[in-house]
Amino acid sequence: MIRFDKVKKSFGPKEVLKGISFSVKKGEILFILGTSGTGKSVLLKNLVGLLRPTSGEIWIDGQEVSHLTEEEYLPVRRRCGMVFQHPALFDSLSVYENVAFGLRRHFSDLKESQIREKVMESLNLVHLNGIESKRPQEISYGMQKRVSLARTLAVGPEVLLFDEPTTGLDPITTNAINQLIQELSHKLQTTSIVVSHDMHCALDIADRVIVLDQGHIVEEGDVEHLKQSSHPLVRDFLQEALSAERA
Amino acid sequence: MVEALGRKLILVGQEVHDFASLLVSAFWSSLTPPFRLRETLQQLSFVAWESAPVVLLSVSFAAAVTIMEASFHMKIVVQNDSLVPGFAALLILRELGVVVTALLVTSRVGAGYAAEVGSMQITEQVEALKMLGIHPIRYLLVPRLYASILGLMILTVVANMVCIYVAMLVSQWSLGYSSGSFLMAMRAFVGLQDLLFSVIKAGVFGAVIPIYSIFFGLRCRAGAEGVGLATTSAVVATSVTIIILDFILSYIFSFFY
Repeated sequence: MIRFDKVKKSFGPKEVLKGISFSVKKGEILFILGTSGTGKSVLLKNLVGLLRPTSGEIWIDGQEVSHLTEEEYLPVRRRCGMVFQHPALFDSLSVYENVAFGLRRHFSDLKESQIREKVMESLNLVHLNGIESKRPQEISYGMQKRVSLARTLAVGPEVLLFDEPTTGLDPITTNAINQLIQELSHKLQTTSIVVSHDMHCALDIADRVIVLDQGHIVEEGDVEHLKQSSHPLVRDFLQEALSAERA
Repeated sequence: MVEALGRKLILVGQEVHDFASLLVSAFWSSLTPPFRLRETLQQLSFVAWESAPVVLLSVSFAAAVTIMEASFHMKIVVQNDSLVPGFAALLILRELGVVVTALLVTSRVGAGYAAEVGSMQITEQVEALKMLGIHPIRYLLVPRLYASILGLMILTVVANMVCIYVAMLVSQWSLGYSSGSFLMAMRAFVGLQDLLFSVIKAGVFGAVIPIYSIFFGLRCRAGAEGVGLATTSAVVATSVTIIILDFILSYIFSFFY
């Protein structure tokens, strides 16, 4: 469904992605793991055109997208919803208006009653009710993250991209978000790409994991394959996950 | 050395290219629908109505100082201050009202826009807009552009009227002119085109404020320091541009008197 082919991305003289190639199957949950600054978020942003690769190709369902114009990217972005590292909710709008925002843009023919129905449905999916009239700053950070997910889900994306979805969250909310990703993948048959540095979460819910280090893929495979890896970075991640589990 | 210079030139070239792209995008977006009337009116209220107290208070004192200083120096140099009302009115309408108003709006509204957009940029709200199918320039800049142009024009007309009124009061109280003689002296110097030119200047300055503010806001780097730097850069660049444009426009208008 999605294929990266020798994708490179540089910022000035600094090359962040050094020829990345991988593919993602429909309905799969793919985790991209790596330490901070290895280009995980850059990878996701290249997929949806928020950044453009320096070279290489990105394919979504047989269409090469890296050379599309901003206008041509609109349908791609409608298919690929992204949950950012920050909740990225619009401060001046209520939770309801935030979730309805994309619906009004992408589905201009929807009536207000249909928009309300979709907003409530999306908030239900992330287990949030009764906060529609609140402003983002009036709810907790974990709730903001879930509202952000509801806003992404409202437009019905086929692919969900998560950029560090559990960073800054307590362990209970982290588990809730992880369960939610898994639940949505099963319930809505969405393909999910999760960028994270949390091996513990990856071991729990990932179908496949890619480990990124200094712009290269250093390990790729399912959870069982990863557990057998001898790569020092992967061993470090596994060690960390093991200690977190013991704690 | 040469390499560093080359890198610097490339960086400057990139900035010029980015600014030119923003200008083209702003121009195109401001002429094509959808026109966000509700947001534009909200911004107009922020620019004109909410800025009015600070602008009117400041220009009033500026007008009072202008007339008192003019009288003081004319009395010393030509031992006569009969030309003061006319000169003061001319200065107020052509320069003081519009430039002081524009600079005050820059520090209040321009700084606010740069900080707001800068915060949106570093918290990924701008990228979220793109993901939801909204063009950031159309959504963030266009309503602010219309509001700033119109708001500054309105504020300038009101500021000019208040300035003239304050100048008249000061000349009555301090120089002994009656309101009738002040207005007569003013009419000898000031024409309708002076007011028209000051409104045109206001429109141009009004366009500069949001364009620079959004430009620097969108280039904001992460952290409180990044937002502070974006805000400072926007205010400094706007203020300098307003003063340079004031000179250019005054020179052009001088051919029409």
